[in-house]
Amino acid sequence: MTNVLTIGRTDGKRDAATRAARRRARAARPPWEEPPTTVGQAAKGLTLGGMLAVILVPLWIVVLTSFSTPGAVNRAGGLVIWPDGLTAEAYRQMLSDSTVLTALTVSLGITVVGTALSMVVSVLCAYGLSRPRSLGHRSILVLLIVTMFVGGGLIPTFLVVTGLGGYGQWWALILPGSVSVFNILVLRAFYSETSSELIDAARMDGAGEWRILGSIVLPTSRAVTAVTALFYAVGYWNSFFNVMLYMPTDAEKWPLQYVLLTYVNRGNGMPGSVNAGFGSVQTQTAPLSLQMAVVVLTLVPLVMVYPFVQKHLRTGVLTGAIKG
Amino acid sequence: MTTAQPERTGAPEGLSLRHRLRRDRSLILMTVPAVVLLLVFNYLPLFGLATAFQEYDPLVGVWQSEWVGFDQFSRLLGDAMFWHAMTNTLYLSFVQLILFFPIPIALAMLLNTVLSERTRNFIQSVVYLPHFFSWVLAITIFQQMLGGAGALNQFLRQQDIGTWDIMTNPDTFALLVTSQSIWKEAGWGIIVFLAALSAINTELYEAAAADGAGRFRRMWHITLPGLRGVIVLMLVLRLGNALSVGFEQFLIQRNAVGHDAADVLDTFSFYYGIATGDYSYGAAAGLFKSVISLLLIWGANRLAHAFGDDGLYRK
Amino acid sequence: MNRRSFVNAAVSVAGAAAMTPLLSACGGGADRKTGANTEAGLKSALPAYVPSTSGKPEIPSVAGGPDAATDPAYLSYPSAPVTTVSGVPGKGGSYTAVTPLWGTVPPAGNAFYQAMNKALGVELTMKPTDGNNYATIVPTMTAAKKLPDWIQLPSWWNPNFNLGGLAGTQLADLTPYLSGDKIKKYPNLAAIPTGAWQVGVWGDKLYGIPCFSSKFVVAGTTFYRRDILEGRGIKADQVKSADDLLSLGKELTDAKRGVWAFGDLWTYLYTAWGAPLKWKVDNGKLVHLFETQEFLEALDWHNRLAASGYVHPDSLAGDNANATTRFYSGKVLIDGGGTGVWKLSDHQAGIAADPNYRRGAFNVFAADGKSKPVVYMGASTAILSYLNADLKPAQIEELLSVANYLAAPYGSAEYTMANFGVEGVHHTRVNGVPTFTDEGQKAVQSQTFPFLASPSAVISNPGGDIVTKDLSAWQADNVQALTKPPFWGMNISMPQAMATAEAAQAVSDTVQDCYRGKKKVSEVQEAVASWRSSSGDRLKGWMTENVLNKYGTGQ
Repeated sequence: MTNVLTIGRTDGKRDAATRAARRRARAARPPWEEPPTTVGQAAKGLTLGGMLAVILVPLWIVVLTSFSTPGAVNRAGGLVIWPDGLTAEAYRQMLSDSTVLTALTVSLGITVVGTALSMVVSVLCAYGLSRPRSLGHRSILVLLIVTMFVGGGLIPTFLVVTGLGGYGQWWALILPGSVSVFNILVLRAFYSETSSELIDAARMDGAGEWRILGSIVLPTSRAVTAVTALFYAVGYWNSFFNVMLYMPTDAEKWPLQYVLLTYVNRGNGMPGSVNAGFGSVQTQTAPLSLQMAVVVLTLVPLVMVYPFVQKHLRTGVLTGAIKG
Repeated sequence: MTTAQPERTGAPEGLSLRHRLRRDRSLILMTVPAVVLLLVFNYLPLFGLATAFQEYDPLVGVWQSEWVGFDQFSRLLGDAMFWHAMTNTLYLSFVQLILFFPIPIALAMLLNTVLSERTRNFIQSVVYLPHFFSWVLAITIFQQMLGGAGALNQFLRQQDIGTWDIMTNPDTFALLVTSQSIWKEAGWGIIVFLAALSAINTELYEAAAADGAGRFRRMWHITLPGLRGVIVLMLVLRLGNALSVGFEQFLIQRNAVGHDAADVLDTFSFYYGIATGDYSYGAAAGLFKSVISLLLIWGANRLAHAFGDDGLYRK
Repeated sequence: MNRRSFVNAAVSVAGAAAMTPLLSACGGGADRKTGANTEAGLKSALPAYVPSTSGKPEIPSVAGGPDAATDPAYLSYPSAPVTTVSGVPGKGGSYTAVTPLWGTVPPAGNAFYQAMNKALGVELTMKPTDGNNYATIVPTMTAAKKLPDWIQLPSWWNPNFNLGGLAGTQLADLTPYLSGDKIKKYPNLAAIPTGAWQVGVWGDKLYGIPCFSSKFVVAGTTFYRRDILEGRGIKADQVKSADDLLSLGKELTDAKRGVWAFGDLWTYLYTAWGAPLKWKVDNGKLVHLFETQEFLEALDWHNRLAASGYVHPDSLAGDNANATTRFYSGKVLIDGGGTGVWKLSDHQAGIAADPNYRRGAFNVFAADGKSKPVVYMGASTAILSYLNADLKPAQIEELLSVANYLAAPYGSAEYTMANFGVEGVHHTRVNGVPTFTDEGQKAVQSQTFPFLASPSAVISNPGGDIVTKDLSAWQADNVQALTKPPFWGMNISMPQAMATAEAAQAVSDTVQDCYRGKKKVSEVQEAVASWRSSSGDRLKGWMTENVLNKYGTGQ
């Protein structure tokens, strides 16, 4: 009874007026829905409010600490909860470093290229495996799933990549981790549920698998495409470990996360005991503020990107498409 | 979703292999790039598993190291610390499954009932942020709020009420790490369920409402079935990962609650393998874990099939 | 598993590793040599020592026992630095060098690097690399045989890097260039004391070039907030025993105000009960720390301390990341720590938090207040650089000449260049002492060249003379307590199984739980018993047979 009929729209753009109208319509309660009970409403508000609070308070602490003076950080004995002394010195220090800007470009490049590559590979693979009873799909799936649990370890992987000439090469940062079996499984789960009536109809019209993927499956599963693209992009944006393995000494090729790591590590002294004498660090910024500024800096792009993903998560977009 | 998918279109079973190959060649072709990448970067390095059967020396390499057969495994199986870590892992996994797993689903459904788009967007864009905090930061925040000298206990102390030991109590450690995981990952976890929710046709709700179905019946008969495929997939993966409960989170808090409570399989491999240079021992522990995980996911998948679900692949 | 934390944890154990004999594990696969250097072999490999005559420290070095002395201290900087190297040392060769860096990496190819290359007469591409991940990065480089021409390998990671195995296979043997009187060709290198060179000898051959060598290397000590304690009329020399310390804890703790007397003490305090660092030799027999009564007594005291309520709860919770902040903010008044922190940057960070901030350290004391106070010395350096085995003899000589330039003594023209860059560009003189410009802070301040070669350590904190005076005074007060532990400065290669037994992870975990109040002393005894029967006794046998009986104790 619940075989969901999700009919896609093939036209990408809709005119602004209809969209605005729909937005207004959605904000109101659908006529068929009963008004909520007071208790239910209160419980809902309380749950969501509590959830927001436990997230926003720490977020506030992190941001505040990043803007605090060393004195404030030390008076607090750690993260700062109430504003005490404010300064943007941590950000100034971080952004005045030309390495940070170079690294930003590198990071964007890796994220864009990597995500594009990963999405193409994953979407194709997921669709290729999503048609029931197709030849060999189960064996291929097993082959994929095994990699989620069994790995050869750090050094063997490193030796394979360097054996292929990847040491110091850009592709070594992208290719080894470009396929996430988890993401393929998620995509596949959604693709399997694309209505077979639609696909049958298309096939009657003589469409091949490539056409079906492009004109029916992809447009009807924009939400999951957006979500997996986000997963991949976040993965590439955050990755630094491959850098450490394949280009640990080429500072001009480092992505942002790796450069920021060196900022975080600035607060950590050298292990062991060395009387280094001269050459100690002038501390205008509390290491903790700098570390929190790093956290904030890495959160900013995510906050900026999320609305684009969110657009595809709206309930009823597809329904609207059918009606409209 | 729950009803059986139609047969492979226009393809009754019993076709010749050649016919099926011709019919499905584009589908197979589509999987080639991913398969090749995995073969090169995941399967080729598997020669590293050989180290589990050696007394591996990183400097002379895998080929020259001494072979010791199953020695590392017999050492492992006779190691009380290993079994202790195993028990801890399974217990924590169980607690997380019960307490953590349902929360993202519930949150996604709750969020879906918020009418104001602006509120919903705001909440959505906030709840996923803790995912990007490192565990070090997350635990520092917990320590600062709930630790022995944290905001809560300092308040209690000033009121001359006894302090409440949250962060260093081994007995409640499972609950502590689970709530930390919920705080950090639940918001991120809802994203995939939101995607699934967005694929549900609202007309179904309208029709159900017209038939007199109330709020909870609609949830039960439309929303949950709509999410079922994804929920089962996540559940199967979670069970397959029952031996992985996190690493960093335990590494950092190991000092606080002691290693008896905090040692899980991954920290075991680290402390008793890599950190002491006993690579082969660590590799043996890792391989042991991999084999059990594969058995678990195979079992979980069979279970899903038994309940009429697809799981990872169709029966 | 998350790899970053893996590395961080490796770093956190490094402090302790730096104290133990410089061991290196090697697997059973190759028939590699295990053991240590022979006395005769060591003697023939070590360079001659020709002390430098330049430089008159305001606070001269005070000698202690053998190989022990305080670091000389300077309060001023020479206004006209003298040149110790004539001409440019290099012949125009091109090399890459990798050094660990705990800080922000300077821009590649910056003006300071270029100026240095001009002064050195070589194309030296500096590649400073994240120090916190160094223990992961280097093994991958050695696995791929991609070591640079010149690399810095801190000795506390010798087991991770398998240094004993790298020596001779991937690292160049410097014996033919530096042993005995041959070093006199490089006078600044010859001024580095013998004890530091000893750390770079493996299998009776010399490989490492020591940096920052010092005759006052101790792992750490017990620090206190001098400003706060003196403000309450407490003098450091009042603490003469463990009981004194405990009663101080009672006096200073004020939990309601969020102030606790103690942080984490165990690591640098347990030897006060007379326990050895790791081994001791009793009537010619080797005894391990875990077997001693003194160790149990120390544990018992710390276990009681954990329950006393005088220890900051975050310290008990093992939150070490914020330990310094707690000390600066006066929420912890007495804390154990590595002696490397006692320098200008600490002073500046401290006064930013509290204008009165002053760091002090208790004199080494014996727990019973009666025995002779003892603090065990570490090897004379932990920072050594190595040359690639693929280099040709002429290239090795060229790089050794560069090293000689970099090892020029404090206050010389070369020292000024390597540590402060070009005057007017990277530093200016403020009150006579070189002070970094913004440009200098970015490019020079995070040390790169001194990690390849540098002169013996001096105490010098321009703009923070109080630090220099306090540290010098503390060193002078304690230099007589410096004692060589067994196997001091010996590079020991042991089979993997023995290295694993040495690490005794299960016991050290239980010990940690015990001094944090989570486990009873009796539980540690059980862990020790099980360690001894599984591998500890075999380790002792191995050490006795292969090290003690063959090579002695290195005293």
